[in-house]
Amino acid sequence: MLKVEALHASYGGSMVLHGVDLSINRGEIKALMGRNGMGKTTLMRAVMGLLPIRSGKIIFDGKSIHGLRTHEIAALGLGYVPQGREIFGDFTVWENLQLSMLKLPRAERKIPEVIFQYFPILASRKYQKAGSFSGGEQQMLAIARALATQPKMLLLDEPSEGIQPSIVDQISEILKKINADTGITILIVEQNVDMVMETAINCAFMEKGRIVETCSIEALQENESIIACHIAV
Amino acid sequence: MDFSIQILNGLNYILVLILVAMGLVIIFGLMRVINMAHGEFFLLGAYTVVMTDHAGLGFWPGLFIAPVVVGIIGMIIEYLCIRHLYQRFLDTILATWGLSIAIKQLVIVIFGPAGLMIKPPLPQLVSFMGIEYPAYRLFIMAVALMTIGLTFYVFLRTDFGLGARAVIANRDMAAVLGINTRKMYRTTFTFGSALAGLAGAVMAPLMSCDPQMGLGFFIPAFLAILVGGTGTLAGVLVGGGAVGGADSLISFIYSPVISQIVVFSLVIIVIRIRPQGLLGSRGRG
Amino acid sequence: MLVFALFPLTGNDYLTVQLTQYIVYGIFAMSLSLVWGYAGILCFGHAIFFGIGAYVMALITKGMIPGFSGFITSGWIGLLLAVGAAAFFAFFLGYFLFYGRLSGPYLGIVTLALSVIAERVAVNWYYIGGFNGLTEIPALAFFGWEIRGIRILFYFVLAVALCVYLLCDWLARSPFGTILAAIRDNETRAEFFGFNSANYKIATFSIGASVAGLAGALFATVTEFVSPTILGFGFSTEVLIWVALGGKEVLVASFLGAVVVRMLEAFLSDILAYYWIMILGVFFVVCVMFFPRGIFGSLLSER
Repeated sequence: MLKVEALHASYGGSMVLHGVDLSINRGEIKALMGRNGMGKTTLMRAVMGLLPIRSGKIIFDGKSIHGLRTHEIAALGLGYVPQGREIFGDFTVWENLQLSMLKLPRAERKIPEVIFQYFPILASRKYQKAGSFSGGEQQMLAIARALATQPKMLLLDEPSEGIQPSIVDQISEILKKINADTGITILIVEQNVDMVMETAINCAFMEKGRIVETCSIEALQENESIIACHIAV
Repeated sequence: MDFSIQILNGLNYILVLILVAMGLVIIFGLMRVINMAHGEFFLLGAYTVVMTDHAGLGFWPGLFIAPVVVGIIGMIIEYLCIRHLYQRFLDTILATWGLSIAIKQLVIVIFGPAGLMIKPPLPQLVSFMGIEYPAYRLFIMAVALMTIGLTFYVFLRTDFGLGARAVIANRDMAAVLGINTRKMYRTTFTFGSALAGLAGAVMAPLMSCDPQMGLGFFIPAFLAILVGGTGTLAGVLVGGGAVGGADSLISFIYSPVISQIVVFSLVIIVIRIRPQGLLGSRGRG
Repeated sequence: MLVFALFPLTGNDYLTVQLTQYIVYGIFAMSLSLVWGYAGILCFGHAIFFGIGAYVMALITKGMIPGFSGFITSGWIGLLLAVGAAAFFAFFLGYFLFYGRLSGPYLGIVTLALSVIAERVAVNWYYIGGFNGLTEIPALAFFGWEIRGIRILFYFVLAVALCVYLLCDWLARSPFGTILAAIRDNETRAEFFGFNSANYKIATFSIGASVAGLAGALFATVTEFVSPTILGFGFSTEVLIWVALGGKEVLVASFLGAVVVRMLEAFLSDILAYYWIMILGVFFVVCVMFFPRGIFGSLLSER
């Protein structure tokens, strides 16, 4: 579904990605792990077109997307839930969800009912300002918002950051359910090992702007030391 | 008796100032561009009316054409210059500054440096509440109010407004959600310019149209935004009211020169105490 | 090191007088370059300081300030007070503005508003000449010896320019200058290093203003005439254009920018009349877009 080849990108003047090679298959849930500052967020932003790419290729669903503008990439079916959620605090839940559908004429703008099934909290708080929500609720809103356009793939950057464990579990369950129901491909950047073990099928490790290892979650479960190798300080 | 006329004149000025400032704040809030040529858009609007008047068509066609013409000019300028400079904030100020000089000279080249006057299109006086007041000024206030109302409506109730406010709040996320930010910039700049053009057109019969008139509205408009807050549309109402009102009041009691000094000092004091403006919020100024 | 090859030992008196004036403008340009190119302060109303310097010089040497007479009306004191007045005003302003956390653009436009106001005040203030300004300003006199000769005046002004250049250059190369550059490029980072950026900016702003005031004072004696236009918006714009076209980050480039643009203007404005300023404006825009270092700046940086 998504293939990144030899990607080089810089951020603020210094080269952060030094030739990233990563591929994710359709319907897969893959986790990307690594210490802080290794380039995980930069990779996501580069894929979404929010950062300029020095060299390399990004192929999404068979199409080459490097060099495209962000909204075009979004239109092709990539949804992004950034680190820190970044929802529009001054807008209501309803408005936040509407934003992804502005291109459609009013009549066609139905927020898929399933979204409210996945995130029942949002249904009851449709007209509340998003800024008043707790961290966990905001995260759900952020995911819901990304799902509103019915994307083919979802990129999540540290969804568990700053959220209490019970909600993290909830989110993990929801993500698995969505993947099972719709076959959506998911790439999660995470530092939370438990969540990764719960949710993902495969895992990749990033160090200093490069992917250094990939393995399946089963392999990880058998041999925890792999994680220690790449994550421990 | 005389006082109520002054109040009405003051209101007149405030409303037009808000019109100009609105365009400026929208462009700044959305695109992070300080358009130094905004005063010149005002100027172009006024001179469009002058042109139609001299061409024998009179004032009214000019009033309708002016925002369109100025909007188109704004669009062209955005396309040719500004869109290359989005990453370079300070340079946009300089570039629009240079443009304002060029535009002003162009006007001088075509029309000459002296002030031109056109007759007010509604010369009658209207009497109400014991005073007689020029109908045209009432007309201006009506137009200004309607336009301000329309702008607020567009921003708060329409899809475009929602998208625009999203871009103002967080440009990257808006793009991630599928909003074409570049197109939004172009539309915004066009709209902002058109607002200034309308203001200029509507004020033209009341003022001597000389090439310096743009600056005379740009500076107070900018000060109004500083006072009200650079990120909010409602702030413009407050800022415009404060700056415009203070200016009118002090000009009337003392003199225009003193008024400029006093208003300016007051603005500096307000900013010193509350750098984000009266209605602004910290962090996004 | 660069050498100003500006020694026109021509016999042409008219040109020499013009050139003297241009060199004064060049000094003014260098002052803006210091403030803008080296410290990163965008000042749309720089002519205010020039004007203050000019007016103070004029008023003092004409003995128009009550209480100042006799020895105190000499050229030296005039220059000193002109520079001092400009510096003082800048310091006061800078204190207000830089400590008020008014950054970049807001500052620029505030200074613009100031120069507009200053011009209006000068026009309305009858005592200092109002709209017509002051004329017949005495020539510079040092210890009774008047500088009347055109050539001598020229070399004097040139010498001043050289001194100013050397001073500013020394400043730019000194630790002070390095810190300034750091502040210009990334203010927050500089502050993390413990430098109070506001103080440095106020200092530079005042120094720049003093040089501008000096230029203004020289202008007063060279042209023997001051008027509100040299305080205001139009002139502030001109110097901004000179410096931008010349190259704001290099002192010499700004100097050349002023001189060259003025020479071109004198030459072309007969032919082009009103079109000249328009073309200048367009040039300015093009320069901002494609030559942020200015024309001479780009050339000089290619060393």
